[in-house]
Amino acid sequence: MPDANQQPLISVENLSIQFRTSEGLVTAVDNVSFDIQAGEVLGLVGESGSGKSVTAKALMLLNAENAVYGEHSRITVNTGADTIDVLSLQRPQDRMQIRGGLISMIFQEPMASFAPAMSVGSQMVEQLLLHTTMTKAEAREHSIDMLNRVGISDASKRFKQYAFEFSGGMRQRAMIAMALSTKPRLLIADEPTTALDVTIQAHVIDLMLDLVEEFKMGILFITHDLGVIAQTADRVAVMYLGNLLETGPVRPVIRTPSHPYTRGLLNALPRLDDLDAPLTPIPGDIPSPLERPGGCVFHTRCSQAIAGQCNSVAPAVVEVQPDHRVACVLRDPAGGRV
Amino acid sequence: MLQFIQFAITRAFMALVTLLLVSLIVFSLMEMVPGTCAERYLAFKNTQGQQITIDDIEAEKVRLGLDKPFLQRWTGWVGRVFFKGEFGDSCILRLNINQLLGDKFLISLGICLTSLVLAYLIAIPVGIISSASKSKWLNGSLRFVSYFGLAMPNFLLALMIMLFSTVYFGETLTGLFSKEYRDAEWSVARVLDFLSHAWLPIFILGWSATAFALQTVRALMLDESGKLYVTAAKARGLSGGKLLWRYPARHALGPIVNSLGFDLNRVFNELPIVATILTLTEAGSLLLESLARSNDQQLAGAIIFLLTASIVALNFVTDIALAVIDPRVRRSVMGQG
Repeated sequence: MPDANQQPLISVENLSIQFRTSEGLVTAVDNVSFDIQAGEVLGLVGESGSGKSVTAKALMLLNAENAVYGEHSRITVNTGADTIDVLSLQRPQDRMQIRGGLISMIFQEPMASFAPAMSVGSQMVEQLLLHTTMTKAEAREHSIDMLNRVGISDASKRFKQYAFEFSGGMRQRAMIAMALSTKPRLLIADEPTTALDVTIQAHVIDLMLDLVEEFKMGILFITHDLGVIAQTADRVAVMYLGNLLETGPVRPVIRTPSHPYTRGLLNALPRLDDLDAPLTPIPGDIPSPLERPGGCVFHTRCSQAIAGQCNSVAPAVVEVQPDHRVACVLRDPAGGRV
Repeated sequence: MLQFIQFAITRAFMALVTLLLVSLIVFSLMEMVPGTCAERYLAFKNTQGQQITIDDIEAEKVRLGLDKPFLQRWTGWVGRVFFKGEFGDSCILRLNINQLLGDKFLISLGICLTSLVLAYLIAIPVGIISSASKSKWLNGSLRFVSYFGLAMPNFLLALMIMLFSTVYFGETLTGLFSKEYRDAEWSVARVLDFLSHAWLPIFILGWSATAFALQTVRALMLDESGKLYVTAAKARGLSGGKLLWRYPARHALGPIVNSLGFDLNRVFNELPIVATILTLTEAGSLLLESLARSNDQQLAGAIIFLLTASIVALNFVTDIALAVIDPRVRRSVMGQG
C-alpha cells in the first residue's frame, strides 16, 4: 500500500486536451486531475471513446501532432531528485527521458506493438542502449534476463526470434519485459489483456503486479473491464466523455458507487452467482465528442438526471468519503433542485 | 543457408514453369492470328507481283512444318527457345529472328532497367524523407512534380525536348548511335557513343517512372508510419532519423521491392512510343512494327516472350530479395530455427 504522505510519483492537474480537426477543435479530455503514488495501481475505467488512451498518451506526449493541451494543464513527474514538467518538454532528447526511461507503456495489441521485421531482442537492446549506460553485450544479457523473469523459457533463443513466432500471451509478457527493462517509475498499461485469452489474462496481470511490487513503480491501468479493476487496482478513476466522474479507493467505489454512471457500469457486468439476472446495459450510446452535452456530460443517458439542472450546470466535485470524490449534483449538498 | 538455396531453387523452378505456361499462351496467340505464316508470306509475295497457287501454299506449309499437330509445333518451338535460344525465322522478312533482334532487345531492356533503377534510387530516399517532413513547401512541390510527371504523357515530353534541342542547339537528339557507330562492332567508343544518346530515352522513361514510384513510396510510408509499432517505438524513446529509418522505412522496403516487377512492365509498355518518336531502332519499335504493319507473328511472339521472360526474371529476383528483407517470408521458407 502506498504511503499517503509521500509526494505523488506523477501528478496530473487540470488536464484538457483538444484536437484540431477540419471540423474545429474537438475536446477529448476535459479538466482531468489525478495522482499516482509509487507502488500504487490506479485503474482508469471507461467505455471506448471516453478519453482514457488520450489521457495516458499525454503522459508520454504521444498524442498526434494536432493535439492542443489546455493552458492550465500540468503533468509533473517526481523522480525523487527533481520534478519534470512533462508538457513543457520540447526537444526530442528531453522527451526521451519520459519515453521509455521514467515511463513505459504497454499496448492492447502485443503483436502490432512489436516491429515485425526486427527481432524482439534487437528492440529490447535498442531501448536499453538509449536509456542506460550499458554496453551492447550487457544490454543483451539484461534483456535475456528480463525475458527469463517474465517466464519465457529458452530466453536466449527467444531473444533472437520475431514477434510473429511468439504466442499471444508470450508476446505480451515479452512486452512487459521490454517495458520494465529500463526500470521505469510508472508503467502505463493500456488494455494490456483485452486481446488475450481469459486464461492467460490472469497470468499476465499477476506477473505485472508482482514485478511492479518488486520494482516499486506505479501503474496506470486502463481498461473497460471493472472486474479486472476490482482485483488489480488500489484506486479507480471512472472516465466518461473526457471527464472524470468518480475517483476513489477501489473497494468503496465498487461497493458504494456514488455516480449513476459507475452504478450503471457495475450493473452491466454479467453475474455468475445469479445466472437468471437480466443484464442491464446503460441506455443510449456514448455521444460523439463533436456533440458534447452541456452541463453534466452524462445527463443524456442518466436515469436520474434533473431537467434544468444537469443539462445546464457542470457538477462540482465533492468528497463523499475520504479520498472518494464524485462529480454529480445528486451527491452535492449545495446542489440539488434549483 | 541450405534451406535458402532450396528456396531459391524452388522459386527458379516455379519461374521456369511460369515461362513454359507463358510460352504456351504466346504460341497459341501466334497461332490465333488469322492466316498461317505460309499464307501470309505468299500473300506478301503476291502483292509484289508473283503468281501464287494453292499448291505453292501447301508446299510452303510442309516446308515450315505447319502441317504437324499443334502440340508438336509448340514443343519444337519451346525446345529451340529454351535450349538453343533460337526463335526461328521471321514470317515476312525471312530472316533469322535472333539476327534481326541482335542487341536490340538487350539494349531496350537495359534502357528500361536503368530508368527503373534510377527512378527508385531517387524515389526511395525522397519519398521517405518527405513522408517524415512537415514542410508544406517540400510536400507541396513534390506532389506537384509527381502529378506533373504522371499527367504529362511521355511522348509529349519527348517531343518538347526534341523541339527545344533542335531550335536552340540544332541537334535532333534522335537515334541511339551516331552514324559511324550504327553498324560497328561493340567497342569502348561505341559504348560511349551509345551512352551519349541513351540518356534521353532513359530520362524520359525515368521521369514518369520516378513520379509513379514516388507516389508508391509515399503511400507505403504513410501506411507504415501510422502503425502501432511506430508509436510503441516512440514510447521507448526513439525519435528522429533513427525512428524513421529503422521503423517505418525499414518496413516499407518489402512492399516497395514488391512493386518493382510490376513497374518494369509499365516502363516497357511506354518504351515503344518513346522509341518511335526518338526514332530509336530498338526492340520496342520493332515490336510495334511487327504487330501493326507486317503481321509478323513469329517476330512479335519472340519479342513478347522475351519481355515476359524479363519480367518473370525480375519477379524471381524480387522474391529472393523479399526473403532477405522480411523475416516473416524468410521464416516461412526456411522453417523454424
